[in-house]
Amino acid sequence: MTGRLASATTATAYQREWFARMREEVAGGVPLALVNADAPQEIFRAMGIPYVVNQWWASIVAAKRQTQRYLGLLRERGYPDDIEQYSATSLASAFETDLEQAPWGGLPTPSIVLGETTGDASRKIFDVWDAQPGVTYYPLESAAENAVPERWWELMPHRWEEAIGSDRLDLMTGELTGLIRFLEQTTGRVFSETRFREVLALVNEQQEWNRRTRDLIAAARPCPIAVTDGIPSVMVPQWHRGTEWARDAARAFHDEVRERVEAGVAVCEDERLRLMWIGRGLWFDLEFYRRFQESHGAVFVWSMYLAIAADGYLRYGDDPLRALAARFAAFSDQLYTPPWSAEWYVKEARHHGVDGVVHLVSDDARGGYFTTRALRAAGIPVLELHADNVDARTGGDLTTQMTAWLDELGSN
Amino acid sequence: MSALAELLAVARDRVAAAHAAGLPVVGCVGADVPVELITAAGMLPLRLAGKPGASELGDRYLGSGVDPVARSVLTRILAGDYGKLEAIVVSRDCEASLRLFYALRELRRVEPELPLPPVRLVDVLHLPHHTTTRYVKAKIAELREWLGVGDPREAIEAHDRLRRLLAEVAVLRRTRLTGTQFLGVVAATTALPVATATALVERLLGEVLPEVDGVRAFLTGSSHDDPGVYEVLEENGFLITGEDHDWGELLFARTCAAPTELALAERYQHNGPSAPRASIRQRAAHTAAAARACGAEVLISYARVHDDAPPWDFSAQRAAAGLPAVLAGHQPYGGLTEKALTEIRTLLPLGVSR
Ligand code: SF4
Ligand code: SF4
Repeated sequence: MTGRLASATTATAYQREWFARMREEVAGGVPLALVNADAPQEIFRAMGIPYVVNQWWASIVAAKRQTQRYLGLLRERGYPDDIEQYSATSLASAFETDLEQAPWGGLPTPSIVLGETTGDASRKIFDVWDAQPGVTYYPLESAAENAVPERWWELMPHRWEEAIGSDRLDLMTGELTGLIRFLEQTTGRVFSETRFREVLALVNEQQEWNRRTRDLIAAARPCPIAVTDGIPSVMVPQWHRGTEWARDAARAFHDEVRERVEAGVAVCEDERLRLMWIGRGLWFDLEFYRRFQESHGAVFVWSMYLAIAADGYLRYGDDPLRALAARFAAFSDQLYTPPWSAEWYVKEARHHGVDGVVHLVSDDARGGYFTTRALRAAGIPVLELHADNVDARTGGDLTTQMTAWLDELGSN
Repeated sequence: MSALAELLAVARDRVAAAHAAGLPVVGCVGADVPVELITAAGMLPLRLAGKPGASELGDRYLGSGVDPVARSVLTRILAGDYGKLEAIVVSRDCEASLRLFYALRELRRVEPELPLPPVRLVDVLHLPHHTTTRYVKAKIAELREWLGVGDPREAIEAHDRLRRLLAEVAVLRRTRLTGTQFLGVVAATTALPVATATALVERLLGEVLPEVDGVRAFLTGSSHDDPGVYEVLEENGFLITGEDHDWGELLFARTCAAPTELALAERYQHNGPSAPRASIRQRAAHTAAAARACGAEVLISYARVHDDAPPWDFSAQRAAAGLPAVLAGHQPYGGLTEKALTEIRTLLPLGVSR
């Protein structure tokens, strides 16, 4: 057994301090943005407009066990409490009635919310935001393509135009141009392209560190870090990308992992089965990820968070706005659209030398069937778990299913 | 046979009617497929409808959390229920359609033994911005090239003519057609060559029809490619005099400003406002105006299970329409639960029953 990663504790502490500072600034009149996880946050960074990531805030609310109370606030106003709860939680914060109970002192009201019109409900959630006094929703299209690039992860850093298609990039570049004008006019802040280029360079540097870290973990035997520990080490800096702190945090995470690899540190000394976890985190039962170390020597070595940071973000190019558009125009394809996603999971499974994949399939899993199919076709055993990642009620017999599957996997 | 009877017969067996026309048939998913281009290519656009009931294959490939209509359409495609299709063109009218496209594209790749025709996405988007127009225009040009279409002018004019006639039927239906009949008339036009459909609708407009009655209801929420919900509501004393989904009045709400590819792009971009694609504000304003126009006395929202948009629209729609209203959420495909029906029946004035 190993201790917690220093980079994880540092990141978590930094996030708290940052949030408190941001609340003060906003109380003093600074505009705040609320943005979706897969939206072009770099523009806000360059203009010095603080932003909160919608899905991150939902995870904080969940960790403080306030989700149910928040969903109740939506219900009281005649909105559904059972559709896209993850995206709707932040909206409920706008209706907060009890600041005592609000996590981290509560989410200040944003003046702009930014999100893609993906899904049928998510844009409606932003519409409700838009109806609140002082809040404007700036919608972005979410476009889709007929053609599929081969091995997108190799194309993306430089040949993104080819991978994504010019129509989608024209569209998103146009929308981002509009967003910049909108922010200039409503906040009075300046968009400096010099500053923007610096921000983009920092983001690329940060993701290069993540890439090296991912490769270290892929090659290391035994696995040096707990998969759950890696998540804050990657994700907190991800929400701060485009800052020197975030770039340095990614490097510190890398250095820590390298030290562990060099020292031969193991999450589980007796590592016999290397596993990959596909799907969102099982937030209601994080212990799950360690439960099978003792019994089966089974270690989770992969989750999407570090891997998508390594492969999904790098974009180089002379036209900075178009390069930023390229980071997000096909972001969800990378993770969810077959065959983009399915082929990538196969490549990552091989890269990490996993013995099996545990695939969390929720009801509305996008491309779930094809992911499992592709992995099995590549000769990789897959256990599908059918459950919701945040709802503890659905997870009853996951441990039983895992045990049976690992028994078999271990005996092969 | 009267035109009405003929149209309703077509509606009951759209697949047979489409193939009887003797043209190559292209399956269309969603109201955002520019049917003009398929007509211009000398083929027949058949809008693919699902069928309430078994959807085992669709569940397997799409997951059971997706709108049952998409799961059913996929199941029926794989079962060959639509007869021979030259191609399938899928639009982006809702998230479920996009997932259906991805599933079809991937099945063609990894399971080539399945009998699937070529599949194409036409990514018509709906934000009311010029940036979106340019994108939609590019997507329409791409589809036109893929289909090998020359000048679509004539086809654009033909489809617009049909739309104008359907708008006249929509006025007629308020007093002379039941909602169920109207739904059938519209459905029939999505399975016939445009000239045939136009001739039938023209004849329908000249027919003498008896008056219909019932508590005048405006139906909002999910779309209906199946008459089940209309039938139940009308058996229970309502008369559906208007709706805002794209198997009904939203299908032909807008025509092209000119017979050009650009105007075609603008027509599809701005058509609606449909529940999955429009903003809450736009929907509420439209629902209120349309309910008023058809003299509705009550507002009913039917939200199918896993059709996520309608429940978000409802409270603003109710406020804007100012009518007694009920939201029936989580409803099965093609029907209403007992509980929902009981609640909807509270909208009937005392003494009205079947
Ligand atoms: S990467 Fe996955 S979990 Fe993280 S924000 Fe995006 S969708 Fe949510
Ligand atoms: S076998 Fe693995 S899980 Fe058990 S004590 Fe050793 S390192 Fe920890």
